[in-house]
Amino acid sequence: MEDYKFLFKVVLVGNAGVGKTCLVRRFTQGLFPPGQGATIGVDFMIKTVEVENEKIKLQIWDTAGQERFRSITQSYYRSAHALILVYDISSQPTFDCLPDWLREIEEYASNKVLRILVGNKIDREDREIPTHVGEDFAQRHGMYFLETSAKEAENVERLFMEIAAELMEQARCKELPRYEQNTTSINGKTTAIGDSNSCGCSRFT
Amino acid sequence: MPTINESSLIEDNLTNDLHKLQEDEVIVNQQLDQILMRHCHVEAKLQSIRKVLPNVAVVKAETEKFRDMIHHTNILAEKVSAKVRQLDLARSRVCECQSRVNDILDLQLCCEGVATALENEDYEQGAAHVHRFLLMDQQLLEKTADDVSGDHSSVTSSLATLQQAANNLRQVVDQKFDEAVKGEDLASVERFFKIFPLLGMYNEGITKFCSYLAIKLQVTSQKNLKAALDTRITDKRASVIYADTLTLLFEGIARIIEVHQPIIETYYGPGRLLTCAGILQKECDNQVKKIVFEFMKHRAISRKVQLINEHLRKQGVEKLEPKDLDILLSELTLMHARAELYNKFLRRRVFNDIEISTTDEQHRASLKNDFETIMKNSELARSMQELLGAYLALERYFMEESINKAIGMDALDQDQQTSSMIDDTFFIVKKCVKRSISSGSIDGVCAVINMACGLLENELSSQLKSRLRQGYPAGYLDLAQAYNALQTSFQHGRIQTSDTELARLMFLAYLNNAETSIEYVETLSRNLKIDIEQAFPNMQTKEKGKIESCLAGMKNVTFTLRTVVDYGLEQLRSSAIKPRINPWVDSFLTINHEADEEEILRHETDESFVQTLVMNLDGLLQVFKNSLMESNYNALIGILTTEVTIRLEKVIFKSSFNKIGGTILDNEIRALSNYFTSSTSWTVRDKFIRLQQIATILSVDKVEDVTEFCATDSISWRLSSAEVKKILLLRTDFRQEDIKRLKI
Repeated sequence: MEDYKFLFKVVLVGNAGVGKTCLVRRFTQGLFPPGQGATIGVDFMIKTVEVENEKIKLQIWDTAGQERFRSITQSYYRSAHALILVYDISSQPTFDCLPDWLREIEEYASNKVLRILVGNKIDREDREIPTHVGEDFAQRHGMYFLETSAKEAENVERLFMEIAAELMEQARCKELPRYEQNTTSINGKTTAIGDSNSCGCSRFT
Repeated sequence: MPTINESSLIEDNLTNDLHKLQEDEVIVNQQLDQILMRHCHVEAKLQSIRKVLPNVAVVKAETEKFRDMIHHTNILAEKVSAKVRQLDLARSRVCECQSRVNDILDLQLCCEGVATALENEDYEQGAAHVHRFLLMDQQLLEKTADDVSGDHSSVTSSLATLQQAANNLRQVVDQKFDEAVKGEDLASVERFFKIFPLLGMYNEGITKFCSYLAIKLQVTSQKNLKAALDTRITDKRASVIYADTLTLLFEGIARIIEVHQPIIETYYGPGRLLTCAGILQKECDNQVKKIVFEFMKHRAISRKVQLINEHLRKQGVEKLEPKDLDILLSELTLMHARAELYNKFLRRRVFNDIEISTTDEQHRASLKNDFETIMKNSELARSMQELLGAYLALERYFMEESINKAIGMDALDQDQQTSSMIDDTFFIVKKCVKRSISSGSIDGVCAVINMACGLLENELSSQLKSRLRQGYPAGYLDLAQAYNALQTSFQHGRIQTSDTELARLMFLAYLNNAETSIEYVETLSRNLKIDIEQAFPNMQTKEKGKIESCLAGMKNVTFTLRTVVDYGLEQLRSSAIKPRINPWVDSFLTINHEADEEEILRHETDESFVQTLVMNLDGLLQVFKNSLMESNYNALIGILTTEVTIRLEKVIFKSSFNKIGGTILDNEIRALSNYFTSSTSWTVRDKFIRLQQIATILSVDKVEDVTEFCATDSISWRLSSAEVKKILLLRTDFRQEDIKRLKI
């Protein structure tokens, strides 16, 4: 048996070339490999982190951004605990595609999934999307928001660690009603887990 | 003044010191004795040294002589080896000189030979001369000629002639090769192909030759595609004609490599296959593009995918029949599988060639990387990714619609415990995942497993649960009647859903369905793991991880199904068990538990409470025994036992007993416990412990006897002292004060 208390699946989505693979590489291997080729299908990395002395295994699925891989990547949405939607702050088109991505998330992902909007490449000088625009978008769609730079290792660790902490807290909130469900009679009503805010744990500020 | 005490103390000290001094003296004496004893020995040694001393001088003189000798020898050896070295150098110069003389001689020979060969159009001979010439060090030759005679005009002119001849020959061969290609003169093509390396034109030769092969490939492939397009729909292979065409293309390339690799290796040396594969891959890309284009067009892939998407978003009116997609799905996976096979073949061949061409690990890695880049960026890869995408979209639709159909056509057979949808659904899921395995794509397999998990967890589980949510209809149940109703309704082609009997049977079947599904999911997951490991024997760790993670999704499906089973059992408890057993157990209250022996004798012929209860329970269980699968049936007995014991305990506390009544109860509970134990393989005896202990207390002779039980085995004693007293109070023949006074 592996030594971890929780296992969470995190799936990264977003247009091709916004830096999903770089974010994952930066976090899992501490690298920023330049001249990275396009991801084919899905890539898969594991990193175990520690939050409040609990070992958490993060299974990170890095998906290909190109349209022709959509059937493959969509199949991973349903079982994801967290979905990271990435755009490139120096590229308006990647931001303009966000609504399409959201539609896809609505269609395939669980409605309980933790959704995070990430504006990557803040090391770039030629910013096209101001921070507050991204922030507004995230707020309108009930997502957490963070701006990162995989190149400069800015906010990358934080992004994944806060996802881990948030998911752990959600899992703990869920544990209680689940336990009750087993001991008392099952009345057919699943206990509403509600959104994470009910747990009083809003971390992405 | 020192006191007497002090002075005696000083005296003591002095005595101690004296003793110590005496001891020391003894030790010193001993040591002195030892030293004196050694005197003799030392004398003897000194004597012998004195004897040896003159010899040492002799040895020294001899040694010096020896040293001088070695020194001389050393100098001599160095002189000799220097001469040998000189000799060696001289010899190698002679060799070099010889080869240069040979070169010069050959130069003349080649010079004349080339001219005649060109004249005679004997290109092989000419090229052989040029090849010989190219092996010479031209600058050195010129210099040698200069040194020797001061006149190097003949050598220079020869060199110039040969240079000229080489260039001529190159041009001619180049031209002749092109002509041979144009004239489709295979013999000439091969003839000139062999001449290129002799002229040092390795790259030109490979490029030209492979381009020629590529043209051949193009012609064949186009012919094949045309034949494919002309194939009649009635043809046996019509349904997989594009997969066949693609296969022919790949096989064509494989054959080209198979046939020409040995020739290339013989005339050009190893390490040329990468260039070769690059050129052939380009043509392969062109042809794949054409074939896939025709495939997409004629099989109307985009339209189908669009219809599916519209259906998914509930916009479309037109609906695809999933069964019609079956063959197309096979063709798609076949095409993808062939491409994977081709890819593997090419990689193996090129990598082997790279391995033998260089020993430099870094160079090898970079060459292999070049190959991977070619393949990764090829049109073939792109096309296959697109095909896989289309396949997955269609497969998802196929699986979902087929499962929905299986659920829609659900039927219950009298001698089956589950309804038809379970076997059908799992047949479909298995078929789809297996098909994905045949595509040769790990990502494809993972995606289909993910889809299957989603469908089982959503469509199937929710269907099972919604039926169970309708509950188990209460009322009298006669199973034979229910089957008859079911039978007639099927015969008449109508299902009377209002029919309670049918609803009950369906409820039980769905409970079994859920339980069976868990078993099926576990088996499926296990078997798929084996199938995948067999289909992909060389998986990398990462790919294994992907598969494992996706298969773990199956575990979540079983969790969901388990909650469905629990939910169904709970429904059964609340609607079928509780309302039925409560009145049966409650009849306990109508019985007099304080009867004297006479009265009991009078009623002996009557049926006891437990006999009636067991009969009723047996009747109730008979209903479920055949309709529920064993594990569900056992779970039901577990629930039944719990309910009966709880209810019985309640009514006991509402009754009053005398000694005889208590003893009768004790026997009755034993009988009831035996009944339950014999009707299931599960352990239910545990659930009777409290009741048995209550009955034991109710059947004691004296209040004080109770202390014995409470004291003896306290571990399995389930009653608190307050409860014990409460139970004793049920005995009307005991006095309250005695019970109160009891210390337990």
